Amino acid sequence: MSAPNCLRCLVRPSAAFRLSAPPSTSTLTPATPLTAATQIAAFSTTRATAARAQSPQTPQATVKGHVRKGKRLTLKGKKTKTIDHGKSPLPGERKAYRKRIILSNDNAIPVPWLTDLTAPGLADPANVGKVLALPPMTQDQLRASEAFKPTQCWGMFRQPAVLVRKETVDLTNRMQEAAAARKVLRMVLTGNKITGKSLMLLQAMTHAFLNEWVVIHLPEAQDLTTAVTEYAPLSDTNPVQYSQPVYALKLLHAIRQANADVLAKTLTVSEHSELPQSLPAGSPLLAIANQAKEVDSAWLIFQALWNELMAPAPYRPPILLSLDGLAHIMRVSDYRSPSFDPIHSFDLALVRLFTDALGGAIKFPAGGAVLGATSRNNNPRSASMELALAQREAEQQQGVEVPQKDPFFRGYDERIEAVLKSVQVLRVGGVDRREARALLEYWAASGMLRTVVDEKVVAEKWTLAGGGVPYQRH
Amino acid sequence: MPPRLNLWSACRALSIRTRPAVAASRPQSAALAAPVSLARRSFSDNASTQLPPNNSNLPPPPPPSSSSSAAPPPSTPNPGESSAVEVPTSPENEMALNQLRMIEYGLSPLDPAVEGHKYGLPELPLPSQKNSKYRYDGVVEQLTKLIMKDGKLAKAQRDMAMVLNYLRTSPPPRLDPSKPLLPGAPPAHHLPLDPVLYLSLAVDSVAPLVKLRPFKGLAGGGKSLEVPIPLRARQRRRIAFNWILDVVERKKSRGSGRTQFAHRLAEEIVAVVEGKSTVWDRRLEQHKRGTANRANLLHHQVKGQI
Repeated sequence: MSAPNCLRCLVRPSAAFRLSAPPSTSTLTPATPLTAATQIAAFSTTRATAARAQSPQTPQATVKGHVRKGKRLTLKGKKTKTIDHGKSPLPGERKAYRKRIILSNDNAIPVPWLTDLTAPGLADPANVGKVLALPPMTQDQLRASEAFKPTQCWGMFRQPAVLVRKETVDLTNRMQEAAAARKVLRMVLTGNKITGKSLMLLQAMTHAFLNEWVVIHLPEAQDLTTAVTEYAPLSDTNPVQYSQPVYALKLLHAIRQANADVLAKTLTVSEHSELPQSLPAGSPLLAIANQAKEVDSAWLIFQALWNELMAPAPYRPPILLSLDGLAHIMRVSDYRSPSFDPIHSFDLALVRLFTDALGGAIKFPAGGAVLGATSRNNNPRSASMELALAQREAEQQQGVEVPQKDPFFRGYDERIEAVLKSVQVLRVGGVDRREARALLEYWAASGMLRTVVDEKVVAEKWTLAGGGVPYQRH
Repeated sequence: MPPRLNLWSACRALSIRTRPAVAASRPQSAALAAPVSLARRSFSDNASTQLPPNNSNLPPPPPPSSSSSAAPPPSTPNPGESSAVEVPTSPENEMALNQLRMIEYGLSPLDPAVEGHKYGLPELPLPSQKNSKYRYDGVVEQLTKLIMKDGKLAKAQRDMAMVLNYLRTSPPPRLDPSKPLLPGAPPAHHLPLDPVLYLSLAVDSVAPLVKLRPFKGLAGGGKSLEVPIPLRARQRRRIAFNWILDVVERKKSRGSGRTQFAHRLAEEIVAVVEGKSTVWDRRLEQHKRGTANRANLLHHQVKGQI
């Protein structure tokens, strides 16, 4: 039982006293204003109400009702660390900061001898070992189709530029030959870590943009199969396929932004009454792509656009269909069917479209290329894909033994093998010394490398870079 | 130092008719020089040597012209020797032939420090730090190891690389005249293109000159006596960078992902150069204390110990 009187000030802590206390004694008693909350608190026995009644300025009463002045003792372990960092970023801002693409550095010295790429530039063998700049128009197209990645060091230089390599010329020449023969080049780019597979894909896309192809690029295959985007079963498909309408809408926006000029020149051959706004035959394909505003109709519009691109007509542009991170679609996806069975990646309609094209089931009317690039970071194991690529690569070389399936392993997938049965494989390696010299000279001219570039420095850097794997990542 | 390269070792690869006078002036070398037929051996071939047929009675070839693209000297056809002797198969062979002709006329075209070595001879004695372990700038290496946590050096190096890249791409700092950098610092717009200098300048500029060493019980009443002690350059950098790291630890990141620590650190280094960082106050305070306590250096018990 508590003492009736305060031991120091001889004031009895009662509600009646508090209400009638003269102003002069306010320093001895809690100086609470006469509000409804105070009155409630005075008669309340619950802690929460009592706590609410007290304004933060008043000194806290102890258990006995005594007003304690001065500092309270806080024990060492019970201190709560609250560091005020100011305003925290809004939702989405952190990711935007992480994913931003910077293509220019104002500190870097402009390179006087740098010339812009032209349409045949990447296919010209005379350009091997030269650094050439991406024209501003192509930069916008590449940015729209998400060809630049935040891990690449574009932000170091005044202007984005690429090194033309032997593999680049090889790849673009094959693309040109295929388009000239109205055939489809089906190829997988593979190679070791940071050897420039994605950059090779970017160069192929640059070549396609400069030569007025239609480019449809799937920048990250994992966005399609790791169950991060919405999916819905498509009616009248057996076995059931699934569309990904949100992704399709995003893809349509990218296609429209990157290929606006070519799509405006290409005309439809049939009437489209199923679209949100029906289009007569002979209207530009850009009008179809422009209709993509709602998620609900995105897949319908994408299909209409794709069917038009595939339709035989007097003028159809060649098509480049490319995908980065091939291993992600060569596996069972993370999606589940209504009966909770795992969905194979090939049952996703967009992935199916790519794999059909890669497997050779789709013929483009004006030819083109289907390119897939493997990745060595964030790379799920796909035994069938690894085996198939190794087999194709061995078949391309003379006198190399073709690897066979492991008879004691069950994890192979026949659907994947069927797709990769007849693709070509391009292995991207490190740059050779001549290309390394071109890179170093470009870096030195941009002010990024502060040394004289001579044969000795080239040899030293090339060796320290593990035999010409030049790109730094972070 | 004697030349390592024997001039006559180059002759082994080519067949040439030496002039009797030169051969007589160096009898010991002429014995070593065993010329072989060019038709049998290429310039860089190292196959077993084969003695050519005796051709010492042939007249010497005419002297070479000054240009390197001189035509091969006409040779008299000899049944014992193949006719392809004088036709160089490559520019290197042609150059080597010209050199040999110059040797024949008593000139010395070969520089022993260059010839036979792809990148020349190293300067001797070799510096003690001329190996792959001393790959980075000294300041960068020290600061990288101060960033390191749990012995993860590779992660610290990646962070340091990101810091340097941030400094490269950030706009030139606006210097504050009230917080002067080291004397002799380059102008601000030079800094982003030399990020290592940028970083070292920031750290060296806020580095304290003294630390205060407490001498236990000398101040009376069990209190310790603080005595200012001068610091070496490496110690100064370490203290300054640890102050910077303290500030970085309390900073808030704006984005997400693995660049965050590096970007916060780089922002703080820019702030130091611009004079906005609180590290400057810390340095000032330390210097004030050092100045205030300088009389303690004369304490009789301290005198002997410093």
